[in-house]
Amino acid sequence: MGKSKAAGPLTPAVFHILLALYGRERHGYDIMLQVKEDSQGHVKMGPGTLYGSLDRMIAAGLVIESNKQDPRRIYYKLAALGQAVLRTESERLSAVAAKARRHLRVT
Amino acid sequence: MPQQQYKRSCSLATYARLLELYPPSFLQRHRGEMLQNFADLEDATESKVRLWLLIGRDLTNSLSSQFFRLRLGRYVIAVFVTWMLLFAVGAFFHGATPGHPALHVFGGVLPGMLAMYIATRLNRAPQNGISHFFRSPFDIYVTGVFVAWVLLFVIGSFFYGPMRGHPAMQVFGGCLIGMVAMYIATRVYGMQ
Repeated sequence: MGKSKAAGPLTPAVFHILLALYGRERHGYDIMLQVKEDSQGHVKMGPGTLYGSLDRMIAAGLVIESNKQDPRRIYYKLAALGQAVLRTESERLSAVAAKARRHLRVT
Repeated sequence: MPQQQYKRSCSLATYARLLELYPPSFLQRHRGEMLQNFADLEDATESKVRLWLLIGRDLTNSLSSQFFRLRLGRYVIAVFVTWMLLFAVGAFFHGATPGHPALHVFGGVLPGMLAMYIATRLNRAPQNGISHFFRSPFDIYVTGVFVAWVLLFVIGSFFYGPMRGHPAMQVFGGCLIGMVAMYIATRVYGMQ
């Protein structure tokens, strides 16, 4: 995920990680739990998917490591770009959902 | 990091072994976190089956994603495409290859394994010199797979006769199997 791609539609994993990190820094397991809760159990992320996504998000400047004192519990938090991308993606999804609702009401 | 810091279980030991399938650079960054996460998941889960279903799906998705980002992965794709082109051109100009199907498959396994072996030796720090060969678990695994394939095809041909199918596909399938076998070996046993 390059910086140029960060503004495009996000994968469900990336979107949910951004959402989980909004307003609070978390370690990996905490992110997994929050993603499960936010998605009402529909997105269950394993460690491989989580850290693969986090690596790409760090490279894209969306997320930064905030506390590395315990190598088993590294904390991550949103970068300014991550917050902006989350906001943009949320608005895009809202617009799509609103359009879908309009279509469903008509049919 | 000392392994004693984790609450050891059979599942955690199995997971730790499976983690070796990931690229070393990825493991260097996340091994500790992933083991801790697994231990947390194991503590929280009510069903081991459900836990391993999640881990199985996670490994499948993330390993394939990691693999195709590696130089090794791109090499595999290049060899895969080259083999496809070779056989397409060969079939177009010369038609079906004559011979025994088991030999076709076996003929494919061998270059597949060799290609992967060369790739892994080139992409990792190799131990040069023939004196090192057959001394590491990796080389023993390679020899074991090779001998197993010879035995399998001899037994298969003896009991069931020739298999059906296009020879090019048989060679191609064999090549793919050889490469996969070699890839698993390089990840499980390392590249020392």
